[in-house]
Amino acid sequence: MELLDRYLEAVRKHLPWKRQDDILAELRANLEAQLEDKEHELGRPLTKEEAEAWLKQVGSPIQVAAPYLPQQYLIGPRIFPMYWFVLRTVFVWATVIYCIVTAVTIVAPGYLDLDALAGAILRLPVVLMTAAAWVTLIFAIIEFAATHYPEKCPAISGVTVDWSPSTLPPVVTKPMHGTKPRSYARAVAEAVFGFLALAWLILVPSHPYLLFGPGIYYLQSLPYQLGPVWITFYQWVVVLNLFHVIWHCVDLWSGQWEEPQRVKKIVFQAVGLIPLAVLFSAPGHLYITLKHPAFDLEKYGGTVYTINESIHKGLFVVGVIVVIQLIVEMGKVAVDAYRGRPASEY
Amino acid sequence: MTIAENLFENLRLELRRGCLTLAVLAQLRQEHYGYTLRKALAERGLTIDESTLYPLLRRLESQGLLASEWREEDKRNKRFYHLNSDGEQMLGELLEEWNTLNASVIATVSSQSA
Repeated sequence: MELLDRYLEAVRKHLPWKRQDDILAELRANLEAQLEDKEHELGRPLTKEEAEAWLKQVGSPIQVAAPYLPQQYLIGPRIFPMYWFVLRTVFVWATVIYCIVTAVTIVAPGYLDLDALAGAILRLPVVLMTAAAWVTLIFAIIEFAATHYPEKCPAISGVTVDWSPSTLPPVVTKPMHGTKPRSYARAVAEAVFGFLALAWLILVPSHPYLLFGPGIYYLQSLPYQLGPVWITFYQWVVVLNLFHVIWHCVDLWSGQWEEPQRVKKIVFQAVGLIPLAVLFSAPGHLYITLKHPAFDLEKYGGTVYTINESIHKGLFVVGVIVVIQLIVEMGKVAVDAYRGRPASEY
Repeated sequence: MTIAENLFENLRLELRRGCLTLAVLAQLRQEHYGYTLRKALAERGLTIDESTLYPLLRRLESQGLLASEWREEDKRNKRFYHLNSDGEQMLGELLEEWNTLNASVIATVSSQSA
């Protein structure tokens, strides 16, 4: 029967090549026996339409061949959870390392190459896809080894890695009423943008136009300059931003990105008062000084004094607001703890 | 096919998978080639697709539970399968497991409906 021959040839294309002939011979024998039975029942050969309907009922060539294939999974369900965990970790660390290397490379020449920066940002997805491809390849090899040589890698094939209940991470509490858990994508975006913001911050001293824009030329023409206290302030801001980014990365790595931890948040808010305190306690409230005091003191001295005192008063107001916010936040945590949620859960 | 029908189909296939293996092993205490085995199972109410049964026979053979040989019958070469001694032992153990499981399920269902 020509249709059956064509059908079996189509099946052959999808069979494992080592056993093609054997499987096809068996399949042919079974299908021919079935065909004989059908023709015996009808008392005549099948028409072309009937034969087509019969073969369609048997299944498409690929559908018939598929169960003979030895392995159906690139990464099977036994190791998929481990694969997913490693992939997430690699994504986080590839992003972190890439951002650091990029920031250093861009800062190194001593000027900001915007084309290089844009190119680096556009290359990030390619870097992540490459990392994902490598992880997938490695796990596909592990899956292959665990499937084909289970006796040589029993720990992989059974995922019987040693573990203890006491080493499991603490239970993540449900988000507070009315708050949504933070998504993984959002947490990663926060970490990435945190790094970019840090890179921007580090570039500002050598490239002040990144902060002031074209206004820098106007500022340079003024008789004023920033006081030395701003250097200490700037250093604190950089350190705190670095601390913030590391905190994000640790949260991602430890799988605790869903809910911002309130105690950590309060600590960060409290530490954030340090740069404000540095500014507030500036000796002589010298936030702005004259570039050439010998020449300009008489003319601009009064203005400088007024500006410095205004900044000092402004800092006091900002400091009071931040302290009040901090106290309110601490009060909320204390109330929740009093209502039955232990403080360690935050 | 609706979502509910699709879900039922998936659960039904899951339920049948292990039972079919057991039935095939039991039926192969008597020698069969693929098509006659399929017919014999169908006569007992167990319909099974060609694309499921024939690869299952290969798999059971590669697992060392079946023996097979090519032989001519009705002027055609056919591959005949039968249960070997390891298969006999495995079938015994699986039947014991099946009976225990079946009794437990029936007892659970009966106690729920009572």
